Formats: sequence, structure tokens, C-alpha cells
Amino acid sequence: MMDARRLAAAEKVQLKVGYLRLTDSAPLIVAQERGYYEKYGLQVNLQREVSWANLRDKLVIGELDAAQMLAPLPLATTLGVGGMRADMITGLALSLNGNAVTVSPGLSAGIAAHGGDASSSARSTALGLGEYLRSQPQKSQLTFASAHSFSCHTFLLQLWLRAGGIDPQRDVRIIVLPPEQMVDSLSRGVIDGFCVGEPWNSMAVQSGLGTVQATGYQIWNNAIEKVLGVTQQWHQHHPGAHLRLRLALMEACSWLAEPEHRDQCAHMLAQSCYLDIPVEILRPSLSGQFVLAKGGPALDMPHFHVFGRFQAGFPWRSDGEWLMQQAGELLGKSLSQEHIKSLVQQTYRTDLYREAARHLDLASPAGDYKPFNQHRQAWEMEPGMELGPDMQLCP
Amino acid sequence: MKSKVSPLVRVILVDDDRARASAVESRLREVGFDVLLVISTAAGLLYQMAQQEPDVVIIALDSPDRDVLESLSIASSHNPRPVVMFSEAGDQDFIGDAIRAGVTAYQAEDISPARVRAAVDIAIAQFSAFNELKQQLDDTRRQLADRKTIDKAKGLLMDLHGVAEDEAYATLRKLAMDKNKTLGETAGDVIAILEKAVSGRRPA
Repeated sequence: MMDARRLAAAEKVQLKVGYLRLTDSAPLIVAQERGYYEKYGLQVNLQREVSWANLRDKLVIGELDAAQMLAPLPLATTLGVGGMRADMITGLALSLNGNAVTVSPGLSAGIAAHGGDASSSARSTALGLGEYLRSQPQKSQLTFASAHSFSCHTFLLQLWLRAGGIDPQRDVRIIVLPPEQMVDSLSRGVIDGFCVGEPWNSMAVQSGLGTVQATGYQIWNNAIEKVLGVTQQWHQHHPGAHLRLRLALMEACSWLAEPEHRDQCAHMLAQSCYLDIPVEILRPSLSGQFVLAKGGPALDMPHFHVFGRFQAGFPWRSDGEWLMQQAGELLGKSLSQEHIKSLVQQTYRTDLYREAARHLDLASPAGDYKPFNQHRQAWEMEPGMELGPDMQLCP
Repeated sequence: MKSKVSPLVRVILVDDDRARASAVESRLREVGFDVLLVISTAAGLLYQMAQQEPDVVIIALDSPDRDVLESLSIASSHNPRPVVMFSEAGDQDFIGDAIRAGVTAYQAEDISPARVRAAVDIAIAQFSAFNELKQQLDDTRRQLADRKTIDKAKGLLMDLHGVAEDEAYATLRKLAMDKNKTLGETAGDVIAILEKAVSGRRPA
């Protein structure tokens, strides 16, 4: 598609790139397996990290050059909440959707007994949970886990709870747990449910320890999920290497956009050097044939993970602003509209996306903001530019 | 050297590596820190935080619980003792040293960083010492494996070329120097070549 020799030279060829043990780390792994890094003259060493905090801190001190990040994390790090502060930026979103809410078999029965039907809608299970909670004696309180305070998991979980008339702050307890501890904590009764990325929902489903009540797609269609994060300082010193890295990952995302490549992707991710998870557990969400409960039918969910289509790579500032409003509520301080706007402009670098898209002859959106909660079907933003549905579950 | 710090600084240590954790623990106790608890990962950290209300949490980077700890500084309605990251004051070199050694720390908001710095220094020193030990162990293992490979290559050269041991060794050394490789690597190459030659010569 393009001649890598015409690009500005990479200031650094050997890059360390961090990721977590999640299905939507696929673009980083696919770029390695398909040789896209090499194509752009980079030698990438992928480093699996055990926490977002580790990943962030290693970026800040320069132990990592770049990393997969939760979409709100570059914003939270630039703002300096919850941990080390540093100016972070992203010029590329890696994926949309990919999360789900899973609850214990006991709570699932309670939701179903109050009319919740996961195969029908996320609103139905949210309302079922609300009814169930109101039918319980005052003292019992449910605990839900999210993978990080500043994550789409937390914000999606809150949207789902509110749709059921449940106050996420008062009526339930939301704690943070590492994704890998979610299934075990659910089975031991430490938590009643969780919102997390794949493969951890399918892991709970296939072991019979949990059932999915809502997918991220149902709660907010085509929500921004993971982004490629670097520090502002690293970008300034390595603009050429950063561009090459984004191009390699955009090619990986385009490859992943083809449904027939997803099974091959599941095999790549399953390897012990990457996720080290059986391919059967990775397959449901990647193939878009998702199973909500053990022994249940596979439901057609082609957009469970979105890579490389619907302008998925564009770091929409409208998405960034929504995420920061949620983060502000969580912190119990209202961040002014002005503050949020400038923070997002500084952090979500749409100009960098456009720079890379031009090299690949891909069209990119003219504006930085898009409406949401307005389209129930895929729609054309500009002639020939298709965006996905963007509905959010509302109370 | 052993200046006593206030015994009131209460520490929780989170580390899966028992040997390393106990080394850090005993050094901390020696200089007067109150080590409340040493736990491995997934051991109910949230519960322990609420029960023990430590002043400092020292946590290994290879433990996955850091996001849990950081969440406590946000969701403070459930946890009256929020933790903030140590070195909020912005000592980037210090935090870099800690992270490169594989450890970091969190502290309660109302404790002065100066009071916990000694605890983190101890953790950094112990973690670094463990990293060095591990490196030495890896080196020793590799040397042992190299020696076995070299002996085997020598044996093959002696058998196949009918040379004495010192001549076989001299051949290996010369090969290694010519190819700019280690003796162990060269021995491995020689074995591969000689074994292929031998198996090719054998009648089917």
C-alpha cells in the first residue's frame, strides 16, 4: 500500500511495547505475527504487564516506549489522578467494545426471576437486577468489580446499573480487581458480578461460574476501548518511530477487520508467549459468536470487538470528553467543561491519526467530535465514511 | 547506621516471592518499622487495607494488585485511609530506581514522605540484591550447561578425528575466536554438525 522507505527515519528501531493479558491486545500481537512492525523498519519487543499501573509507570520512566492503554488512562495520567502524573498522548485507538457484565449463577437466577433476559436486552437484565434488589432485605449489598477505576468497565457498569434504577454509588459497592482474579473471586463469593474485557467473561461462562447479563456493545454501541499510549515527551523525541508504529498497528487493525481472519487471530493470541489461554475461550468474542451462559446457544454478535472499521482508530475527542465527565463524577469533583476540553485536546491527538491515515491513503474524519446516542444503525458521516451505531443505555 | 525510626510507621508488604519478602521484612523490622502483614497477591488486599489501615504499602511490581491499591485513593467513601503514591512530591529518579528494581510503594495521605522513604529504600536495596542473585544463578546455570556441551563436543572431536583432549579443546577455542562466538555456542554448533555427519554416514 505504501513504501516504508519514504517515511521519516525511525529515531529508535528497537521498541518495547507493553500490553495486558486481554483479547483486545490483538492488534499489537497480530502486527508482530504478520510482520507489520518489520515492514515499517521496527523491531518490537512485546512485554506483557500485570497491571495498568505498571504499564503506565514504565511508560513514564521510559522502560516502555509505547503501550496498549484503557481509553481513559492517558487522560487520567495527564490529569494526575490515582497514581503517577505525566503528560500522555494517544494518536490511535486500537479497538471498540470488547467488554461484558457477568454475574454469579445465583444472582443470575435472581435477575431472571425478576424478568431479566440477557438474550433479549441489557435493559431487561438491568431492570431485573433493580427489581431483585428492591425485593431483598435492606442489609444485603451486592459487590461488583471493575478492572480499573478509570476504565470503560467502570463507566459501562454504571450505565447498566442506572438503566435498572440502581444508584451505582449507594445501592451497590464497586471495587477494583485484576481481570485475572475476577472469575476466582466470583466463584468464592467475594463479588457478585463484574465488568471486564474478554477473555475473562467467556472464562467464567465456560467454567459455569458466571453468566453474561450485558455486553459492552449493548450498553454503549461502538464505545472507544483501548488506545495506543505514549508520553508526550517520547513522542517529541521519536515522531518517526511513533508514526511507523501507528502505521504497523493500523495495518494489523485492517487485517483484523476481516471476519475470516479472526480464527487465525485466536490461535495467535492463544500461544504461551502471548495470552497463554486456550483457543476455545478466545474464540467466542473474536468470532462474534458469543455465548452468554454455559451450554447456551452462540449468539450472533459480529461487533463484540471492532478493529479497523467504523473509523475505530480515530481518537474521537467527543468520546474523550464523555470519559472525562465520568471520571470527574467518580472523583467527586466536577471538572469544568473548559478544563475537560483542553485536557482532551492535549491528550487525544486526532492530528496524529490523520497524519498516519494519509500515509495509508485512508480517509479520516474532518471533525474531531461526533454525536452519540443518535444512531441505531450504521450511518454515513461523510460520503463513503461509515460509522457504527452509537446508542447508550439510558435510565 | 541503625537509626531507629518511629515505630508507628506501619507497613504492609505485598510480594509473591516469599524469600524476597522475608528479607525485606527482617530489614524493615531491624530499623524499627512495624510490619503488620506480609501477603502474597489475591489474598484479600482490600479487606486487609480496611482492617489494618497501614501507613505504607510496599508492593512488588509483579503482583497484579497495584490497580486495586490505586482505586483506594479514589473510592475513599469506603476506605477512610486513602493511599497516594509515594513520591507524589515528584522525585522521578527515585521512583525510576524503585520501578527498575521491581518494587513500588503507596502511603496514607497523612504520612510525610520523609518518614516512609527509608522503608522504600530498604525495599529497593533488597529487591536489587535479589535481582543480582537471580542473575548470578542464571549465569551459573548457563556456565554449567556450557561446560556439559563443551565436554560433549570435545568427546565427539576426539572420537571422530582421533585427536587428544587438549587438541580437541584447542580446535574449539580457535573456532570460537574465528567466529567471534562463545565457547559454549561454538560447542553447540560443532555437536550439531558432527552429529549430522555421523547420522549421514550410518547405514539406513
